[in-house]
Amino acid sequence: MASAFRVTQRTMSTGALNNLQQNLSRMQTMQEHLSSGKAIGKPSDSPTGTVAALRYRSDIRRSGQYVRNAQDGLGWLGTADTALTKVSEVTRRVRDLLMSSVNGAIGPGERDAIAAEVDVLRQELISLANTTYQGRPVFAGKVSGTQAYDAAGNYLGSPSPSPVERAVAPGMKVQVNMTGEQIFGPNATDLFKVVAKIANDLRTNPGDLAVTDLTNLDAASTQILNSVAGIGARYLQVETMRARMDDAILEHTNGLAEVESIDLPKAITELQMQEMAYKAALSATSRTLQPSLMDFMR
Amino acid sequence: MSNFSSLHLALSSLNAQRRGLDVTGQNIANANTEGYSRQRVSMTSDAGPIVPAIHSRWRGTGQGVKADTVARLRDQFLESRANQEHGANAAARTLQGTLGRIELTFAEPSELGIGAQLADFWAGWDDLSNKPDDSAARSQLLERAKTLAASFKQADDTMAGLRTNIIDQMGVVIINVNSSAARIAELNQSIQVATNAGLTPNDLMDQRDVLINQVADQVGVTTRQGPGGTVDVFVNGTALVRGSSFEKLRVSISATPPLPVSVVWDRDGYPAGPGGEVSGMMTSVNDVIVRYRTDLTAVAQKVHDDVNALHSTGYALDGVTTGTNFFTMGIGGLEVSPAVLANANLIAASSLPAPAVLDGANAQALADLTSPDILYRKLIVGLGVEAQTANRRVEIQGAITEQIDIAREAEAGVNLDEEMVNMLSYQHAYAASARLMTAVDEMLSTLIGGTGLVGR
Repeated sequence: MASAFRVTQRTMSTGALNNLQQNLSRMQTMQEHLSSGKAIGKPSDSPTGTVAALRYRSDIRRSGQYVRNAQDGLGWLGTADTALTKVSEVTRRVRDLLMSSVNGAIGPGERDAIAAEVDVLRQELISLANTTYQGRPVFAGKVSGTQAYDAAGNYLGSPSPSPVERAVAPGMKVQVNMTGEQIFGPNATDLFKVVAKIANDLRTNPGDLAVTDLTNLDAASTQILNSVAGIGARYLQVETMRARMDDAILEHTNGLAEVESIDLPKAITELQMQEMAYKAALSATSRTLQPSLMDFMR
Repeated sequence: MSNFSSLHLALSSLNAQRRGLDVTGQNIANANTEGYSRQRVSMTSDAGPIVPAIHSRWRGTGQGVKADTVARLRDQFLESRANQEHGANAAARTLQGTLGRIELTFAEPSELGIGAQLADFWAGWDDLSNKPDDSAARSQLLERAKTLAASFKQADDTMAGLRTNIIDQMGVVIINVNSSAARIAELNQSIQVATNAGLTPNDLMDQRDVLINQVADQVGVTTRQGPGGTVDVFVNGTALVRGSSFEKLRVSISATPPLPVSVVWDRDGYPAGPGGEVSGMMTSVNDVIVRYRTDLTAVAQKVHDDVNALHSTGYALDGVTTGTNFFTMGIGGLEVSPAVLANANLIAASSLPAPAVLDGANAQALADLTSPDILYRKLIVGLGVEAQTANRRVEIQGAITEQIDIAREAEAGVNLDEEMVNMLSYQHAYAASARLMTAVDEMLSTLIGGTGLVGR
């Protein structure tokens, strides 16, 4: 206020009241920030901060969803991996049996017994090929139904490639399945047909066992091993992306806190300074508003 | 110069000092009265006749003091500045209030706002993409879609309610202005009568000026001094009060969308173009609220368009049905399509026809949509900037208004110290005048009772 002004009691009290009001309103703002823990309560507190907070929040949710997608994908890939590892074991057992059957010392009676065991192993293979993850057969592609292969070993799933994909990072989708055809071979010549032929040859046509059947079985088991390797590689990829998304969530959460949350020591210090200013203003006001000429007259 | 004229001189002084004390008392009594202007007795020495005549000679000493007028110390320039600044202040404050309430409507940034709900909605599509045949994922998505649609609707309803509130409030303010105008006209009349009768109706003038200040706050006015102490009041150049007559205002709502609201003269329906609080209300109703409702509807429309465009290319769980719309956009705003609500299997998660019914590619494509979020964030940053600007304007205008108020108070306000000093000087002058009277009295008694007694 310019000193040229005439000063009256009311100008002083109005001015003092206004200043006290401003002090109090600043204290209220600080108190709001401190009690809510947030530096941004509404968009006008900081428009750019608000938008950053909105972005971070949506990024956190999105990344969380990517993590969930990745977990689901890991479930698929893990299930497939376990099933295929067992399939390899069973296939190796079939090969062992085949090898022992081509040994010259084995007679037709024993070959029948081996054929029976191969039949059982084939059923086991079909059942492994029908492995499900959360009720969905993992090797059936995109069709609904509970089986990828029927009891006779015929493929029921959707044609290759039928990729089932999971979004695991922004703009990144990973295929988490393989169709039965991709793993076990085309329907007419797949593993189950090969094993069925072995069982059949053991009983009626042992001449094919040593060369044709062994070659076919080895070819099928190589393809299975390749598939296992492929699935393992993708498992690792999804796992890496999940870890990265976990990091991203942490990063975004930090970013959000930086934008939105108050700096506690700073806020408390500021509140104390404000409190001091308020007290000083109060005591100054009480001193200046009290005296008038009346106090000094008889 | 007669012997008794000195007595009269003393008497005029006694009267004048008494008057001075009265006015001082009045000032002290009204030290805290809103709108009171301090008063001062203007004393003039009572000189002799300007044109001396034979029987009216003047010896040059004067005849005492005259204290006939009581001046009202008020600066007219400051008054009109104050009216102007108070009007601008009220307009800025009203706008700030509206923007503040719109900010509350959006409740951003938080876990509850539309921004968070949009993110939840997209995540629902992700979950559906992971398990296209899971009925839980489908119903979860539907619930989130319903919540999102309801949030859009609620925000729009809140803003529509805000509009109604402001229009109601505007009606009340205008009624208030009309009654103030009538009262100002009445006071003008009384002031003119009193002035013509040679009185100084200072207190009536104060009352009138308080009313004018109020009206300035409400509709923004300019004033002009009229004859006989009256004041004419103008709203945007047209007379609201002229002397003892006044005009009425009323609120008019247009019938064509977006239903703009204006304040018009009751007499001819011509727009009044008011300032002050009412102008802030008009901007709120005609511009701010309309704009944010339009922007919000645009976001809802974007959600509707983008989701439907992708959704209608996908296949329902049966692998056959295609071309279904997920959202509808009707008179009630964004809503989940009733057909989809009734049958969650119609949600087109698959981008391939049967038998590939467990393809989640379409749901994934929907989950990847971001353009409505971008549009919404643009809305929020716009709102934030506008509200921040309004807050700053209120701060600045508030400071200016406060300065003017202080300047006005400095001119017209009562300083108790000053009144004390005045009181002392009037008191002493009164005592001195009384002493003068005693002196004259003693002189006269010496003359009357003490002369002609020589030799007694």
